[in-house]
Amino acid sequence: MMQLSQDLIQRHQDLIEALGAETLKAMLQEMHLIRAFEERAEQLYMQGKVHGTMHLSIGQEATAVGAANAMQEGDYLLNHHRGHGHCLAWGSDPNRMMAEFMGKETGYCRGRGGSMHIADIESNNLGANGIVAGGLPIAVGVGLSIKMRRTSQVCLVIFGDGAANEGAFHEALNMASIWRLPIVFLCENNQYAMSMPVQQAFNIENISQRAAAYGLPGVTVDGNDVLAVYAAVSEAAARARRGEGATLVEAKTYRYKGHSKSDKQVYRSREEVRFWQENRDPIMRFSQLLLTAGLISEAEAAQMRERAVAIIDAAVAFSEASPEPDVADIMSGVYA
Amino acid sequence: MPELRELTYAEALRECLRQLMEEDERVFLIGEDIGVYGGAFGVTAGLIEQFGPERVIDTPISEAGIAGACIGAALTGMRPIGEIQFMDFVTLSMEQLVLQAAKVRFMFGGKASVPMVLRMPSGSGTGAAAQHSESLENWFVHVPGLKVVMPSTPYDAKGLLRAAVLDDNPVIFVEHKLLYKTKGHVPEAPYIVPLGQSKVVREGSHLTVVATSVMVGRALQAAEQLAEEGIELEVIDPRTLKPLDDAPIIESVKKTGRALVVHEAVEMGGFGGEVVARIAASEAFDYLEAPIRRLAGLDIPIPYNRRLEYHAVPQVESIVREARKLVRGEY
Amino acid sequence: MPVPIIMPKFGFTLESCQIVQWLVREGDRVRSGDPICEVTTDKVNMEVEAPEDGVIHQILYKAGDVVPVAQVICYLLRPNEVAEAAAAPIAATKNVPNATPLARRIAESNQLDLATVQGSGRDGKIMRRDVEQALGKVRATPAARRLAAEHGINLAEIQGTGRGGRVQGTDVQAALARRASELATPPKEGEAQVVTPLSAPEQADRRVVRLEGMRRTIAQRLQKSFQSAPHIFLNMTVDMSAVEALRETLKARGEKLSVTAVLIKACAWALGRNPALNATLEGDEISYWRHANIGMAVALQDGLIVPIIHRAEQLSLHAIQQEVDRLAALAREGKLTLDQVSGGTFTVTNMGMFGVDSFTAIINPPQVAILAVGRIVRSFVPDPEGKPILKPTLTMTLSADHRVVDGAHAAHFLRDLRDVIQTPSLLAW
Repeated sequence: MMQLSQDLIQRHQDLIEALGAETLKAMLQEMHLIRAFEERAEQLYMQGKVHGTMHLSIGQEATAVGAANAMQEGDYLLNHHRGHGHCLAWGSDPNRMMAEFMGKETGYCRGRGGSMHIADIESNNLGANGIVAGGLPIAVGVGLSIKMRRTSQVCLVIFGDGAANEGAFHEALNMASIWRLPIVFLCENNQYAMSMPVQQAFNIENISQRAAAYGLPGVTVDGNDVLAVYAAVSEAAARARRGEGATLVEAKTYRYKGHSKSDKQVYRSREEVRFWQENRDPIMRFSQLLLTAGLISEAEAAQMRERAVAIIDAAVAFSEASPEPDVADIMSGVYA
Repeated sequence: MPELRELTYAEALRECLRQLMEEDERVFLIGEDIGVYGGAFGVTAGLIEQFGPERVIDTPISEAGIAGACIGAALTGMRPIGEIQFMDFVTLSMEQLVLQAAKVRFMFGGKASVPMVLRMPSGSGTGAAAQHSESLENWFVHVPGLKVVMPSTPYDAKGLLRAAVLDDNPVIFVEHKLLYKTKGHVPEAPYIVPLGQSKVVREGSHLTVVATSVMVGRALQAAEQLAEEGIELEVIDPRTLKPLDDAPIIESVKKTGRALVVHEAVEMGGFGGEVVARIAASEAFDYLEAPIRRLAGLDIPIPYNRRLEYHAVPQVESIVREARKLVRGEY
Repeated sequence: MPVPIIMPKFGFTLESCQIVQWLVREGDRVRSGDPICEVTTDKVNMEVEAPEDGVIHQILYKAGDVVPVAQVICYLLRPNEVAEAAAAPIAATKNVPNATPLARRIAESNQLDLATVQGSGRDGKIMRRDVEQALGKVRATPAARRLAAEHGINLAEIQGTGRGGRVQGTDVQAALARRASELATPPKEGEAQVVTPLSAPEQADRRVVRLEGMRRTIAQRLQKSFQSAPHIFLNMTVDMSAVEALRETLKARGEKLSVTAVLIKACAWALGRNPALNATLEGDEISYWRHANIGMAVALQDGLIVPIIHRAEQLSLHAIQQEVDRLAALAREGKLTLDQVSGGTFTVTNMGMFGVDSFTAIINPPQVAILAVGRIVRSFVPDPEGKPILKPTLTMTLSADHRVVDGAHAAHFLRDLRDVIQTPSLLAW
């Protein structure tokens, strides 16, 4: 691990200097916050305090934090069902997120969306999508709109490896390419589409190879290396902002938990999960990097976890105290 | 008195599109072959010359992409008008329309809006066979969050399209291939025919005929024929299928005591069932003198052969026959 | 083997035939072509002929049975053939009435014998509607049911013109129109009404009810009557002592006699002696009626209806009292049938129970006279010696259509009426 940290420091030396200690610490704090949120979400589910299902992103925090931090204010986000991390990294209020997760009127979507459909239109977070490639054609529209309005915004659309095999992926990447739309297509490859391993669903090594078919640049990065994700998405966003069009970024990561709460995970071994947790955990790696680089102390690293848990405790308290939606209001919000 | 200006249905739509684009630069068109080709049925002819390729966007053959592009643009402040070349092809856009456009607002707590219009020609009668003749409007009627419009005249086409574009919701705008060349009075100045207003297009006392799209004209022709026999049809065009303004229909049935719903789409699971149910569940029930009937497309794909195609959907003669039976109690 | 003789199929659409009569008996010798029985289709009577020479062996159906075509109706023994012990008995299906499965099921579940039901379907097939009719169910459209309920009409009394005899709303409307025209020419629809605009507060204070249904009928008929019939009004006060005495006697016996019943009986008696008033005027025709069909006005919650005591002159006072009570109850329940409100020749209207002393009534067209009576009052009248004595009295007002009824006729009628009321024993005269 020490050796890995030194390698990473060397690789990202310019980036570490450019971002500075405060930003790097904030990114690590965000990763802790995501994990704390997800762990609490699972706990609340087990306690029977939420119903339905949820898709946890534990293990994938680096991709969310790296990508979100690479974007600028005013940019757009479209993401997918495993989206808690993206929202928190985008800057969403944990209270209103937790309230939405718990189906409360104070939630971002007034309890109508739930875990899978958190959106914050005011911050241009256009929402998480329960249809794996559903956001991709929408991103084309957002890109078109940006272009027609002649702003310098960029649209970040995050989807999983499974979405790359839906037809909408093809249509969207082609349209984005022919019209040079300011879109960053971020494929968050967590190795499994529910139970389907990428090795069985693709006959190519990297999903980013597909970009070539549309005349787009494609790049694959270590999705558990927050700085690698940051670097790749930054470059893609800058390219989009320069009017040079879209990029396909693939971030290879790993989900520790099942696809959803009903997943018994018979398609993979405990050893495989344990290997990723022990050797490639994104939080552990980034903490180690900052410690090795002398940017944080052991004590600071330990406090970050506690701070994250405290924020989530407060979010749960806020949510539990929040009112349920009024049944009398059930018809509202269908039509403008 | 000055002669009333007449336009075809297609010209009326085009004039509406032009006026909207001149007024509001957020309005743009997107679809297959709508640019220099002018659209498969010529509705957008000449618009690319006036507004350029940035606002009259030709797309690859990507129906999901067209729908998604409309949604994304609408979510971020634009007023897109998409065209699906044949209503049949909207099957390739269904996910975007049903799961995205229709639901975004509700799922996000009423905080987003998707002001888009997707135009598409439905219907048979052109010999285009099973995959280019569909009438799928009721699929969309079944989806909360969408509105469904189906104009039957040039006047309504222009006024309803304007209302649809100004509406802040996703609107499925169903045109009909056989109507594009029909003519009628259309004022030049922009005007609105509000969504959700049924229209009594002919008054009569014996039977209420609720007809949509191309069937409105056929019902009116049937009414003329039956008038010679002393049977007076009241013909109502809902114009907007969703939201449905059923009050005039119910009032009419209270007057006539009989109702027949006519549409081109397949009868099974069709819009007629909704209209029949609304009548049966309303106060009009106590005024019924006969069962409420539907006359709609046969439960088959549209055949190619001209004769078979003709008999697959209601025609003037079949409306006359069915209406006469209901009025005379010979059902 | 005996030769089976089947019910032939006489027509393309024929499903069954009814046997009218047998022309042969078992044991009769027949020649090929001889008629053996007469059957009827819905159109014509036909004969079934013997297919070959032989002896009639076993007749399976009797006259009146409806037999499906191709069913064996009897057997023929060939010459020299000996009867077998048991020819295939087909009698299991014997006498099964021709009915649809649904009709059969409804009949069974209601324990109705199908043999008692007349079929109205093809070839006399018993349909669901026949069974329902036999069960007293009326086939009617929703519109017909609503109108019948609104106007207190019994649907069973209306002949339906719709599919399968279903009563249509228009049939009920026609019945209502007939009912109205029993007494008056049907009013014209859609006459202009003048509405004075009201100011806003007045609008809020009023409850608007459309002039429709029974109220509209009343309005139109009374307006027409008062406008077209020149009314003359005659008053007479009668001594009710004898009636009071009679009522007291009956009361003591535990029976009730109403003033209305007495008046109806008395009117019937007087009308018999003054036929000029037992008349109707329609168009250019005056009809003088043999029987006194006397209507009695019954006030309803919202309106008025006039059930008829038919042939009152033939009824005893007791029978009239019973009829008055029965009709009044039916009227209030809205269950009067058309017959019970049709065919009146004279009307009595009594407002005594409301404390009215006397009043004048508008003639119920096309009748030509109506008697209005108030309450019984105690008043002093002079006795033969000119001394005031207290008597129960009643003031009657006769309205008569002067086009038909002369003043003297009206006066004679009133005098006879007074006499019979004051001397009820005259009723026996």
